[in-house]
Formats: sequence, structure tokens, C-alpha cells
Amino acid sequence: MNPIRLYLPNDSSSVAAGTGRLAEAWRDRREVELVRTSARGAYFLEPVVERDSPEGRVAWANVTAEDLPRIIAGRDGMPVQDIPWLRRQTRTTFANFGVTDPLSLEAYKAAGGFVGLRAAREMSCGAVIEELKVSRLRGRGGAAFPVWSKWHEAQRADAAEKYVVANADEGDAGTYCDRMLMEGDPYRLIEGMLICARAIGATRGYIYCRQEYPAAARTLEQAIRLAGEAGLLESDGTHIELTVVRGAGSYVCGEETALLESLEGRRGVVRAKPPYPAMVGLYGKPTVVSNVLTFAIIPALLARGGAWHASLGTEGSRGTAVLQIGGRVKQAGLVEVPFGLTLREVLDRFGGGMAPGARFKAVQVGGPLGSLFPESALDIPVCYDAFASAGAILGHGGIVVYDQDTDMVDLARHFMAFTAEQSCGKCTPCRVGSVRGRELLEEIQSGRGTGDDIMLLGELGETMKATSLCGLGQRAPFPVMTAIEHFGDEFRNRLSALRRQD
Amino acid sequence: MDPVTARAIEETLAEFRKRPEKPAGILPVLLKIEEVVGNVPRDSVTPVARALGVTEAQVAGVLSYYPDLRTSPPGSHLVRVCLGEACLANRGGRVLRAVQDQLRVEIGETTTDGRWTLEKVYCVGNCGVSPTVVIDDVIHGRMTPEQVPGMLERDR
Repeated sequence: MNPIRLYLPNDSSSVAAGTGRLAEAWRDRREVELVRTSARGAYFLEPVVERDSPEGRVAWANVTAEDLPRIIAGRDGMPVQDIPWLRRQTRTTFANFGVTDPLSLEAYKAAGGFVGLRAAREMSCGAVIEELKVSRLRGRGGAAFPVWSKWHEAQRADAAEKYVVANADEGDAGTYCDRMLMEGDPYRLIEGMLICARAIGATRGYIYCRQEYPAAARTLEQAIRLAGEAGLLESDGTHIELTVVRGAGSYVCGEETALLESLEGRRGVVRAKPPYPAMVGLYGKPTVVSNVLTFAIIPALLARGGAWHASLGTEGSRGTAVLQIGGRVKQAGLVEVPFGLTLREVLDRFGGGMAPGARFKAVQVGGPLGSLFPESALDIPVCYDAFASAGAILGHGGIVVYDQDTDMVDLARHFMAFTAEQSCGKCTPCRVGSVRGRELLEEIQSGRGTGDDIMLLGELGETMKATSLCGLGQRAPFPVMTAIEHFGDEFRNRLSALRRQD
Repeated sequence: MDPVTARAIEETLAEFRKRPEKPAGILPVLLKIEEVVGNVPRDSVTPVARALGVTEAQVAGVLSYYPDLRTSPPGSHLVRVCLGEACLANRGGRVLRAVQDQLRVEIGETTTDGRWTLEKVYCVGNCGVSPTVVIDDVIHGRMTPEQVPGMLERDR
């Protein structure tokens, strides 16, 4: 009898959830053949094992090594297409996840890979950029800048050398879609970068990958090598050189100009803008810097047309939102849906309610610089404009739910301490302000704070927002100030404790 | 600097001198030294500056800037506890305390027997199965404080 083929994700988080242990336990079992794949992003179900069936894949969730007999017998499996959590999503960029070996070029091509690149090669540079303009794609790294405009600037610039840089310094805690892309669908990123290189006339590309993602960097390096061997890095007789460069633990290097400094081997200190990198970027040359997810959206956009992309989402936010739901929810994982659902709908439909014993307290969207939302503010649509007018950010799509056990003063102190550690030091309000902010919060934390300290925190926050060059200093006050705004009693109660002592 | 370290640094620099491309950046050289030696001793600032034709201040600036560049050797094993928000929300703070109690060190310290260095990390992208502890290169998810003693014992 032929062995039964079992699909087992090899993505870092799936392995951390136990797929590595399963692979180890079943390695010598003759009756099964193990294929390591990417993950679907349904982390609450991991470890997941899948099998083929005439109706498509069948999955077993939260598997232990002892479950093998029932998997072999085909008992109690769930057809993947029936999993509501997946069915309710609009998977476009993440459509191929959980299915094949991430490094298989055949599988990538079979799923429509390199169709976008071929289309781009048959178009003029201007036509490619026009397609992007029609798509109304905005950068997914956090700043939501229109992508076509960067490409247009870089394309117009007259320079002997131009660069394409993928920002893979996914530092916002609570986000991992770039990690999943690099580990799980590396050719998609490569294809997006090749399309960009072709459109702007670049021959070199760099992927600046954070040190915390060693598996992603390794997979990407292998994918670049395999793509090169298959001749896919050649275009019109020109070779596009792609290189993975590793970071060294600095959060602020996720800011595009700090990233360029770091790529050049220096301290990752923010540059003043303008000039923008599209004009004066890496080594002073025109450079398109975009987030990994942004590049990964490009291939489908070129294959299916800009109008297709523009048909999804809301007026100002076209396409899909890639959200990563985590914290105290039942169902943590990666969700891809068109922009426009409310935050409450996202949490209800996909979060699956609170973890056992947990009561909702607040949700933070957009990483460590994102605002906190109380229950009463959850009806905000998930799109750039609604978030911007609320003074919040979608950032890179991280959504972290906190429960009743979260001490908001401790959390606020954590945010300021984080900024104090990560500040590159260029702007005094960020460098000094974050330290003073942390100290003020420590005063409040220890019961020594006064009402003046809270007022001072507010003033400090306003100064940092108004006078810092980059998002770190500008955004650092938001989680702290929204904590005070929505959970002010927790801060004031710490003060009154002091008065009682007196 | 001991002679073995000095030679390793010299060989690393020689390797970089051979590369024809752009002038070598300071960061890749220091990362390479860390990979070969295990850390970047402060004594390496002068030879690196000379080899790259930059000032010692520039090299020292890069060395002090990046959290991953260590100037002293870490313990035989590195334990990194994630303090990202998803891990914090899921009680990562308790896991950190359990690790501190078990190893009797604070963040950034090495146990007296030199076996363990404890560090924090802000997110390894494992938020889907948080809280997270990374031991050497292995990511552990869904950690509870109760699992900590056994895990640190086992990895000894």
C-alpha cells in the first residue's frame, strides 16, 4: 500500500505549537509520507495535520502524536473548505497558504505564480505604474502611502543605479504576516520585487530581514537561489541581484530611512525627509522601500489588473486588510478580509470570543505605537481613513486584545520603556521625552505620583507628537494617552493611594 | 583580547577586504565577528576602524547602537523571553518571573555557572501561539510558568 500523504506546516509558529514534534514522532512510520508546508495562519488550530480527499483537503486540529491512527483511518477530520474561520475570509495574498512546500517553484507556478511578472514584462514601465495607480494600492507597512507614487518618482529619476528594498523588519509586536510570507510564500515577495525592479529600472534589490526571523531569512535565501537557477532573475538579458541582509535587533530600523542607514552598515538613525528615498535612498540613489506585504500584493495585482484590486475594500482603502488577531481571544491567527468591516465584526467573526476566564478590557491595533480602544469604541471601520480620523493607526494590522487582569498603568509604563529603549536618539523630544515619560509612569506606578504628573505626561506627549521626525516619537504617546483617556480611574486611583498614606 | 579572538577578528577582516563590492559597512563586519567569536569585544573597535578606514567613534557608535551586538560572551545557552504585547496580554510577564526565579538572574544577566543568559525580546512573530520563550534557536509557544523549570532543566 502506498503511504498516506500527510501535510504538516513547517512555519515557525506551527513548529512552536508542536508540528516539529509530530514530524519527529512520525518520521519512521512507513504508513505515512510527511510533506512540510506553509501554515494557513489558523494558529488556534495548530498543530494542524491535513490529508487529500476527493473533495479537497481534510484537516485535523490540535493534533497530538497519539492521533495518528484516527488520521490514518480518516476519522473525525474536517473538510478545510468547511472551516468557517477560513471560509469567511477573502484570501488573495494569502490564498496559497497551508497547501504546498514553500520552496516548490512548480507549486508556486501551478497556483498562478509569475503570471504577474510576465504581464509586467510585456508592459511598458509607465503602464505598470499606471496599473498600480488604478489599483489604488497603499503601502502596508504603516504609513499607507500610495505605492504608485513612489514607483513613479523612482522611475522618473535619472540615475545609473536604482534599488528596490523590501522592509522585512517587522518589529511591531503582535504582527507576523511578513514572517509568514517569507517562510511560506517566498516567491511571491521575490516576484513583487522583480516587478518593481522592472518598472523603475533597478538591478539590485535587498531584503532587510530582522534578526528575530532566522527561518524567514534562510527560506528566502534558498528561494532566491532556486529562482536564480531557474533563470527567473533575468529580464531582457539583465540580471536582478537580490540579497537578504540581516538586522541586529533595532526596532527603529523598520522606519525606512533608518533601515537604509542600517543597510549601509551604520547606526540605524532616522534621516530627515524630504528628500524621500524614492529620490535619494540607498547610497543616495533612487530607491523604492516597501513593506514585504506590499510587494507580495503586487503579483496578483498585475495578474488580475489594478481594477480588480480597486474593487475590494472601501473608498480610501482598497484591497484586503491583513490582520493578525492575538492576545486574550479564543482564536488567534491571520485574517485577510476586504477593508471596511468594523473592529467589532472582526473580533466577533474571527476572534471567537474571549479566552476562557477572560473578560474584554481593551484592544490595541497597530503594534506598540497603536491606540487602545475600549469596548465602546469597537464600531470603527477597519480602514486607513476611519483610523486616521480617530487619531489611531492600522499600522501593520496587529490586533491585541487585553483582558481584565491587564494593569493599564503597568502597560503604559511598558510602552514608554519600550520607546526609551528603542529611540534612535536623533530627536531630543523622543530620546529624552520617552525616558521622562517612563519615569513619570514609574512614579504613578509606585504610588508616589500626583495629578500634576498626569498633566505633565499629556504635555510631554503633545511635544513628542509635534516635534519628532519619525513614527516612533510621533506615535509613542498614543497608547499611553489612550490608556489614560479610557482607563483614567486606574491612574487616578494610584494617586489617591498616596493621599491616603499621607 | 586573547590571541584566538584576535586571530578570528583578523581573519574576518581579511575576508571582508577581499570582497570587491561596495565599501564594507560597519554593521556586517561586526555581525560577522559576533558570529565567529560569539561576541564583539570592545578591543575589536580599533582593528575594525583601521581595516574599514573609518573612525573608531563610528565603529563604537554602531557597536553600542544595536541590541544584538554583545561586547561580552553570553552563557552557553541563551533564554529570550518575549515581552511583545500579545505575549504580555497572555501572561508572558508571569513566564518571565518564572524564568527569573528558576535561574536567579535579572534580564541581561548570566547565571554564575555561565550556563544561562537571560534576555528579553520584543516579538519573534510567534503571537499566534503566545506567550513565547526562545531557548537558543528553538521557539517555544503557549508557555506557562509551570513549564519553565522542566524546560530549563531539560535543556541543561
